[in-house]
Amino acid sequence: MNQPEHELASRIVRHLDYGVEQIGPGTRSRLLSAREAALSHYREQPVAGLAWAGQAVARLTHGRFSSARQLIAISALVLALVGIAYWQNSAPTNELADIDTALLTGDLPVNAYLDKGFDTWLKRSSR
Amino acid sequence: MERRAYKQALFAVRDDHAALDIVQDAMLKLAERYAMRPPGELPLLFQRILQNTIRDFYRRQKVRSLWTTPVSALFGSDSESESDPLETLEVEDDSKFSEPPAEQLERSQVLAFIEKALERLPARQRQAFLLRYWEELDVSAAAEIMGCSEGSVKTHCSRATRALAIMLKKQGITL
Repeated sequence: MNQPEHELASRIVRHLDYGVEQIGPGTRSRLLSAREAALSHYREQPVAGLAWAGQAVARLTHGRFSSARQLIAISALVLALVGIAYWQNSAPTNELADIDTALLTGDLPVNAYLDKGFDTWLKRSSR
Repeated sequence: MERRAYKQALFAVRDDHAALDIVQDAMLKLAERYAMRPPGELPLLFQRILQNTIRDFYRRQKVRSLWTTPVSALFGSDSESESDPLETLEVEDDSKFSEPPAEQLERSQVLAFIEKALERLPARQRQAFLLRYWEELDVSAAAEIMGCSEGSVKTHCSRATRALAIMLKKQGITL
């Protein structure tokens, strides 16, 4: 914006300000009553605003807590599933390890377990 | 604040009652929706609401004219006899206005001419001009309210001022 344009704009604006002063009393009173109506609404707002804010905060915190609860429940479920899966995988391994240990540390030779006759003798002798 | 807003609305819609309704709506909206905002933000918010309310008025008028134009075309209208308000706004130097001081009269006439010239400007140019120079908003704030770039605001302002200068010159008015 160059200087002459700016100066002209300023002069025009001065006239517009003069025009604002020339507004008739009827229009002025209507504008004043509109302003008062808006201001009375404005004064009522803080209480309503606080109530709204309270509700919003309550809703927000309620939502946060419920989502936290959900998160805990889901985490527990996932942990339980992981635990079960781990236990299922590790239990047979432990059993096999026990058998291997018993076989290797026992007095009986390993081939004896493969012998069908030994198996039949073991069943008979256990009765 | 509300008087300038009323004038702004009046330049845009050219109807006293509609302009008053627009200002009233804008003030109520400000109170209803932005009561919790810091007071420093309110003038800018009010300007934004005011401009939006004026835009809404234009939209409603557009819809209305979609219906009324075919109807008036059917039954005939006197819109053809409508004359350019600027042509009728001659600066009178008649001595019959002896009651008010001559300067005051001249000032009123110049004001009336400026107001009519503003009404004649394209809406965006008028909006940019009033926001920048009358409301004294900076370019970025005006751009935000108008929903356009800062460059567009500058262009609109410059064109508006030039158009006003030409119109004033044509009437032999020097400010």
